[in-house]
Amino acid sequence: LGAGLVQLAHLHTSPNSQAPVPALPEKGGKTRHGIIPEELFQILYPKTGVTGPYVLGAGLLTYILSKEIYIINHETFAAACMGTVIIYGVRKFGPDVAAFADKLNEEKVQKAQEVKDLAMTSLAQAIQDEKKEQWRAEGRQMLFDAKRNNVAMLLETNRRERVHMVTNDVKKRLDYQIALQTLHRRMEQEHMVNWVEKNVVTSITPQQEKASIAKCITDLKVLAKVQQAKTTA
Amino acid sequence: MTLSFFDQFMSPTYLGIPLIAVALTLPWILFPTPSARWLNNRLITLQGWFINRFTQQLLLPLNLGGHKWAALLTSLMLFLITLNMLGLLPYTFTPTTQLSLNMGLAVPLWLATVIIGMRNQPTAALGHLLPEGTPVPLIPVLIIIETISLFIRPALGVRLTANLTAGHQLIATAAFVLLPMMPTVAILTSIVLFLLTLLEIAVAMIQAYVFVLLLSLYLQENV
Repeated sequence: LGAGLVQLAHLHTSPNSQAPVPALPEKGGKTRHGIIPEELFQILYPKTGVTGPYVLGAGLLTYILSKEIYIINHETFAAACMGTVIIYGVRKFGPDVAAFADKLNEEKVQKAQEVKDLAMTSLAQAIQDEKKEQWRAEGRQMLFDAKRNNVAMLLETNRRERVHMVTNDVKKRLDYQIALQTLHRRMEQEHMVNWVEKNVVTSITPQQEKASIAKCITDLKVLAKVQQAKTTA
Repeated sequence: MTLSFFDQFMSPTYLGIPLIAVALTLPWILFPTPSARWLNNRLITLQGWFINRFTQQLLLPLNLGGHKWAALLTSLMLFLITLNMLGLLPYTFTPTTQLSLNMGLAVPLWLATVIIGMRNQPTAALGHLLPEGTPVPLIPVLIIIETISLFIRPALGVRLTANLTAGHQLIATAAFVLLPMMPTVAILTSIVLFLLTLLEIAVAMIQAYVFVLLLSLYLQENV
């Protein structure tokens, strides 16, 4: 059992570390005429030049046909037809299919990129907002001063109100005293006038009354005479 | 000469090894394994896209019980389409031209749908034998007809075999008579051969699809 445990501990371990995963090549291997790898041409170039691989191909073909290693039979024609169709299909629709596959990958990347961009913009916005808040916080002294001014003004207003109130109250009391004094004086004056009048009326003796009435009658007669003279004239 | 025309469909053996086993399993290397990467090369991307779309479309009419068959149906579709398309290349052997293979695929799968239907919902499964709205006098005849139609469903396999065999045979015959022909007449035969090639490509894909589609239809009825 111990040996088995040792083996179990060595599962899924290897000395090669594949992390991070090696990157894939961007493009596939280069080919000439779609089928033949470019490396063949590079290998043969030093010895046989540019036409080397073509001569090799033609020679191989001729050899195979002439030695009847490959016999031309009905399958050759079927192969020619099928080959034409396949090559036509690949040449015509190949780029579209490749573009489609690339588009699928692009969309995948774009979705992730959108998420990342959204996160970035929201974080940048958060930074902006934070900076603004810090700037706002700097102005808090002004805020405190304004508030302090407000409070002082309120207190001042209150104090002045109270002063006015006190002034009014005191004035009211003084007015009351004045009114009281004037009332007193008026009453005294009225009383004195009444007393004088009463005394005067009681002091008028009957003979003085008669004399004054006689004077009034003579005055009236004179006035009547004057009036008569004025109307006749 | 008839025997030589059908020679292309003889199951090939080499030194006693049935090469059909190789023909059945080797196309698997054409499909790259989906890698652990997030962004893949074009082949894996297209393969993944195709498999996803196909499975989604196939499972649309099926309810949840039928979704268990998703892996089976999609892999069957890929299998058949690969075998058919590869068989169009010259000097290749198409395993799906063998009746034994196609019946071996069709009969067990069809029987599975029937047994599932009979086991889980026998009333509904038997109810499929009588379509709705049939006039009363026709009922006995119709039940017999529907039962026959039920048991003929393994013709799924026969359909595939027949279509592919016929297509390959036509191409072989047209190419064979093209060989010793005069050039002027040969042009017409070449056109025929070219059109047959196009047809065969279409048929190869369509027949695989029809196989899987009908199977999913039988499943939909019974699951």
